[in-house]
Amino acid sequence: MNQLLDMLLIGVSAASIYALMAISMVLVWRSTRVVNFAQGGMALLSAYFGYELVSRTGNFWIALPIAMILGAAFSAFIEFFLMRTLLKHSSQGPIAAIAPIIATLGLLGVIRAGIGFIWGHGDVQFEGPLSKVGYKVGETTLFISPMGLFVIAFVVALLIVVTIVFQKTNIGLALRASAYAPEIAQLSGIRVSGVRTLGWAIAGAAGAAAGILQTVNGIGGLAPESLEFSFLLVFGFIAAVIGGLESLPGAVLGALILGLVLAFVQIYISSTLGFIIAFLLLLVVLILRPQGFLGSKASRRA
Amino acid sequence: MLKKHPLITFIIFGFILFLISNRLDELRVYQGATVAIYVIAIASLILLIGYSGQISLGHGALMAIGGYAAVLVRINYDAPVWLTFVVAVLAAALGGALLGLAAARLSGPYLAGTTLALAIGLPSIANEFSFLGGEQGFIFDVGFPPASLGEDFTQYKWYFWISWSAALIVTYWLRHVLSSRYGRSWRAVRSNDVAAELAGIHVGRNKVLAFTISAGLAGLAGALLGMTLLVSPGAFPLALSFSLATGAVLAGVTTLGGVMIGAVTLVAIPEIALAIADRYGGSETITLNLPGLLVSGLLILTVLLVPNGPVEQMHARRAKHAKSGKTSHSPVELTLRVGSKTWSTKK
Repeated sequence: MNQLLDMLLIGVSAASIYALMAISMVLVWRSTRVVNFAQGGMALLSAYFGYELVSRTGNFWIALPIAMILGAAFSAFIEFFLMRTLLKHSSQGPIAAIAPIIATLGLLGVIRAGIGFIWGHGDVQFEGPLSKVGYKVGETTLFISPMGLFVIAFVVALLIVVTIVFQKTNIGLALRASAYAPEIAQLSGIRVSGVRTLGWAIAGAAGAAAGILQTVNGIGGLAPESLEFSFLLVFGFIAAVIGGLESLPGAVLGALILGLVLAFVQIYISSTLGFIIAFLLLLVVLILRPQGFLGSKASRRA
Repeated sequence: MLKKHPLITFIIFGFILFLISNRLDELRVYQGATVAIYVIAIASLILLIGYSGQISLGHGALMAIGGYAAVLVRINYDAPVWLTFVVAVLAAALGGALLGLAAARLSGPYLAGTTLALAIGLPSIANEFSFLGGEQGFIFDVGFPPASLGEDFTQYKWYFWISWSAALIVTYWLRHVLSSRYGRSWRAVRSNDVAAELAGIHVGRNKVLAFTISAGLAGLAGALLGMTLLVSPGAFPLALSFSLATGAVLAGVTTLGGVMIGAVTLVAIPEIALAIADRYGGSETITLNLPGLLVSGLLILTVLLVPNGPVEQMHARRAKHAKSGKTSHSPVELTLRVGSKTWSTKK
């Protein structure tokens, strides 16, 4: 019984961070048809922004939203200066399909080197304001801490905000229309290129939140070559693919499935098998249901 | 010369390399061996990306499979060296075939993500299992150079010989394969898979075959890299997969001709970065970060400015020059009239 509860708590708190990461990948995919493999690096950079802000202001609650805004600004900057030029230039030959992928890898390398130049190669410590020690119920310690609870609550709040923006506002309508049919959206007066930049910006903010929460709820250290953030990228990608890479609710569902499966494996089988299981899950989904659970059939080819 | 007598050209090239290797110091010989290893790895990636139209960001992981297979066979069964290389090729090809079966059904971003996941996760698996040697890994001992080569034949020169023999054989063979029936089928599948299917080419089978061959070559490169370096998770980092992608893009993915450009650049960049760092006081920050910055910056610039690689760009320019004086060589001339406007392929 206790183990089951632990599994749920671990699974959901991990899933909430994967969900943010998956959402940022889905948003970028929907707006420019690029899977941004630099998303992990951008999240890492935003986490460094958060670290810098906390050490300047001393207040995590101010630093978190500002870091998210900075992450959004950086992401929009990348879309505006790199991706636009790229999609304009290399649209011919066999390279066209892979050029954006290659470019995001280059971006990842530049970001890592930049972080190394500014903050050095050693680990920096970035701790949150809340305790990471689990709540006690009687004799047993649960796997959920004040920090973990905050992570879940914050992500749920963000998801509600994103849902409202997408479903109830004109901006959300423009975002959905440009993703669904760019030409028609353009014809009906939406500035699709601007909307694309906006999509990247929201993705940058979500990635920034994922990076910061992952750090303060995890080991509390940051390094340019962080393996943790590489795995964050991979798990975000897997969650997005499970959900169909097109759909925001799908991304959240995929993150929940991935988080719970990983928690189950970690508690009942072995903690070393995590990556192998996640990879097998990815392969199984891609082979059996390549359009994901909430994606349309046509979305696979692009 | 290359077109008419490829075998002779390759043999002459090998002989020149042999002469050069006698005049270089140890460090350069070692770097020369590394160039040969990159030549194999990049060629395998060019086969995959440029000819079969699939992408792999996980060739570092496939190299790791080859390296580990070779060293495990060498240590546990004391197999002869040539056999360990064969095992490396077969093991990586098997891994590639399994991956290729899934890959044949996937398009660009999905395949990129899946192979990237493999490149990130696979090296860390070696840390978890003790029979894979953990963090410090294994030394892949290929033995001393044969005594008949003389007293002053060093270990590094032996590596150089082995690596370059492998690289020359691989490129010669690949040149042959790529201009054969298989190469043509792959290009057909890449250009238009529906048309290829209609022409009787089995698309899925061809994609899996390309992936298998490419993985096998990557495995060979991995075993060679393990020989010169170590077989450990640190020898096959994520950065290796990225470097290979960079090398392939620099070489130009559509032709095997630029493969040397990619390989030499990858080996030269850390050297250049070190030289620059020395000039500016040799601070640790610069030495550690500059190679990564140069590789990534070069990657972005190449994709932006010469997306098809410098060699292809040169060919395209020359073709344009040759054409500009004469009339169109196009065998079919099309003219399209709509209203008062006319479009034509005729110049």
